[in-house]
Parts: sequence; C-alpha cells; structure tokens
Amino acid sequence: MNEDTLILYYYNDGLSDRERRQVETAINADTTVAAQYETLCRQLSELSDAEDQPVPSHTLRRWHDSIDQAARQNQPGQKKPAGPFNLFSFAWGAAITAALAIGISIGVYMTGNDSNTPAPIIEVADVSTVVPASFTRGIKVHLQDTQQELASLPLDASADRIMLILQIIEQNRFFERAAEHNNSQNLARVLRAFEPILLRLAADDIAPEDAEALRAQLAFELNVMLTKLSRDTSNETQST
Amino acid sequence: MHLRPKTIFAVLALLAMSSSLAQSADESEQLKIAALEALMSAPPERALPLVTKVLNSNNSNDVKSRALFVLSQIDLPEAQAQLLDVARSGDGELRGEAIRMVGIGGNAEALAGLADLYSSGDEDVREAVLEAYLIAGDTGAVFQIAANANDAEEFGAAVEMLGIMGAQDALRRLRERSNFSEILIEAFAISGDAETLRELALDGSNPETQARAIEALGIVGGESVNATLVEIYQSTDSDAVREAALDGMLISGHDEGVLELYRASDDVREKRELLEALTVIGSDLVLDVIDEALVGDR
Repeated sequence: MNEDTLILYYYNDGLSDRERRQVETAINADTTVAAQYETLCRQLSELSDAEDQPVPSHTLRRWHDSIDQAARQNQPGQKKPAGPFNLFSFAWGAAITAALAIGISIGVYMTGNDSNTPAPIIEVADVSTVVPASFTRGIKVHLQDTQQELASLPLDASADRIMLILQIIEQNRFFERAAEHNNSQNLARVLRAFEPILLRLAADDIAPEDAEALRAQLAFELNVMLTKLSRDTSNETQST
Repeated sequence: MHLRPKTIFAVLALLAMSSSLAQSADESEQLKIAALEALMSAPPERALPLVTKVLNSNNSNDVKSRALFVLSQIDLPEAQAQLLDVARSGDGELRGEAIRMVGIGGNAEALAGLADLYSSGDEDVREAVLEAYLIAGDTGAVFQIAANANDAEEFGAAVEMLGIMGAQDALRRLRERSNFSEILIEAFAISGDAETLRELALDGSNPETQARAIEALGIVGGESVNATLVEIYQSTDSDAVREAALDGMLISGHDEGVLELYRASDDVREKRELLEALTVIGSDLVLDVIDEALVGDR
C-alpha cells in the first residue's frame, strides 16, 4: 500500500471515512501491509520523542508530500460541485468565497474538530507539558517553507497564485492541528491567525500594493516566530 | 546578561529611531522593522520596554503594527494588558490589529476585555473581535455574543463564526434557545454537524427548513450522509424534498447515488433529470449512462 496513505491514516488526516476503512481492512487482511504499517508507526513514534534527535530528512520530505497529497485531494477536477445553497457570507467575504469556489471547504478545516479519534503520535501532549523537540523542528521547517513560498509568490491575479496560497493554507492547517496536539497553543493561535490574511491574499480582486503589504506582514510575523523558536531552543540547550 | 549580536543590533536600531538619520523614510522604516524582528531574540523583560517605546513614539502604523505582533509574543501579563490598552484607545487600523493580537496572545483576561469593546464598537471592531475569538479558539465568548445579539445580522455573524470554529455544541444550544434561523442550518453544515441536520432533514413540519437542511447535508458529505440523501429521495412523496435531496447529492458529488437512482427509475422525465445531475457533477459514470441510454436497454 502507498506509504503516504498510511501516513495520513496514522495522523488521522486527509482521508475520508471510506478511505480509512479501506486502509483498516487492508491492515487487518494483509500481513505485508500490517508489517509496513507497524514499521511506519515505529518511525513516526520516534518523531514524537522529546529527545533531541534530528528528524530524518526523508521523513520530513514524506510528511510534506503527504500534505501536498491532501491538498491535491481538494483541488478542482476532483468534482466539487457548487450548489444553490448560499454559504458564502463569512467574515472574510470574497476571499473565502474564492477559496471555497476552487475546492477548499471549511469541512476540511473542521476535520480536526469532528474527526473520529485524535492522532496517536500527538497524544503525547495530553499527558505532558513538554513540547517535543521533533515538533519544534517540524514547525520551523514549515515556517521557513512558508517564507520561501510567499517570497516567490506572483502578485498578479493568476490562478497559480491562488493555488499556491491554498496549498500554503492546507499545510498551515495541518501544522495548526499538530500544534494543538503538541502543547503549543501559542503556535496554534499564531498559525490560525495567518489564515485570514492568507485568504485575503488569495482574493482575485486584491490590488498588488495590498497584496504586497499582506505579504510583508506575513514575512515579518514568520520571521518573528522563527526567531522566538530559535531563542527558546537555544535557552533549553543552555539550561540542560 | 549576555546579549547576542542580533539583540545588540536591535537595541541600537531602536535607539536610533527617534533621531533624524540621513536615510529615506522607507529605509528608516525597514530598519525599524528589522530591529523589531530581531528583538524577539531578547529576553521578554528586556524586550517589553523597547516595544513599548516604539508604540509610544511617533512611528508609522506599519511599524506600530509590527510592534504589536512582537508584543503578542512577549510572555508577560503586562504585554497582554498593553495590547488591550491599544485595542481600546488606538486609532482604527491600529485598533483592529491590536484586537487581532489579543486573540493571538490568548490571555484570558485580555480576551474577556474584548467583550466590552465589542459591545461599544462599530462594525469593524465587532468583526475584529469575532476574528480574535476565532484565533483564540474562544467558542464561549462567541456563543455569548450570539445569545445576546440585538439583531439578526449580529446573530448571523456570530453563528457563522461558531460554524467555522466547529462549535457544534454551542450551535445546538443556540437552536434550543433562539428562534430558528436559516443561518443556523448553514452553520451546522459548516461545523460538520450531520446529526442535527439529519434530524432537521427528516422533520417535515416546516418544508422550507427541511429542504434547506437536506441541501446542507450535501455540504457535510461523507458516506453516511450520502446514504441518507438517497434514502430521503427514494422515500418521499414530495417533489420539493426530492429536489432538495438531489441538490444535496449534487453538492456532495455523490455520483454513485445518482446513478443508483437513475437505474432504479422507470420515469423518462426523472431519468433525464438524473442524467443532467450526473453531467453537472462531472462524473465519469455519465458515460456509462449515456451508453446505456443510446443502446436503449435501460
């Protein structure tokens, strides 16, 4: 079975109920898949250890690929018809309308709230106040990636720009949920606060100067968070 | 205390802030923003007075907005209290930003302070407060706003926010307390509350509400909801309910259900409607149906 699917299953993210059941059946029925999943669980569990071990780059890459896959699953061409039901009067008005129209639904956002069970790896947060070092490293990579993606963002009103921003939003939601589960409520709030700005940035009628201002604001906030994370990591290292 | 070079740079830059340097306004502003960025590497108790100085000096709103974000990341109660002060007294743009930062800071006292601001504020302030509560994940505060809303517009904004926050329990409590509103159905859908929508969808006492709830089920989607939509379509005698169920399937993209109904139907007009629905969904299954229709065996 595709490892990305197993990763999404493990994190209880990005799969529909039917897809989850399919994975469950495969694990129960096929010893090869069961062994593959067991190995994967072991690898991912290691990531949650608070010990200061570097995250293997291939694991990080796979993690990102999984997020990309989840984002792709919500893109147009995946049959997301618009109905006559008027949902589009949110606080962020036109921006969220644009986002919804091309396939990102609030339902995806809410997956973390009403999904069946919390992701096993991040249960660590419920029994301890320690923020796993691997999570901190993961979030730094996410913030740096977001910085780079925003820096290369075209500011003209193109479909590419909107798709890129929606991809960033998907990744951001993923890490926001991970932050909640990893005792990082402050980070979760900051990531949540990025989303309205990203949605405004995704609006197809935004003026280039307004887009530039929003991009600069995000770049600043990302930098501040990276500096803060580095400071906290450095303080922990010095105190141990 | 040993300061890192970055911090020294920041402090120097901040000290230079009020002096008239031989720089363009833009360069000076960029330097201040860079200094604020670097300030985060300093211990909170050292950073706080410097940020306060930036906020109290004659700086642009851009620089002050950045300072507010830094303030939100200073883990001291004084910093959070200061954010609330700016939220109360700042000018329009800065006030909105300060309210957002109170949400990011997540300090319970500061968040509680936003309630008064909401009551006395204009539309922009109210919107900003709701967004701050969203950022802070404070469903209780949004529930209170909805429960005490003075008009339908205010109620709608708070209910929508609860939907976005996935606050299903709060929405259910509002359903019990308030006059039923269409906006609540939308919020149930946004929050993914299939259970409540299913209950409304099966309740025929108000046909309009029932139809809305059936359509909204399509927004929630999922295997179980899709099965309910097919069941409603098949079991009803009402054209309006059947139409709503088909709309729900369109919204959720349940092409297999539509195909099932197509094959079960003997009515040519109904078959045509279902075929159109499959086409709108953009399902590959439509080719099978076209093939069957052309061959004429079903």
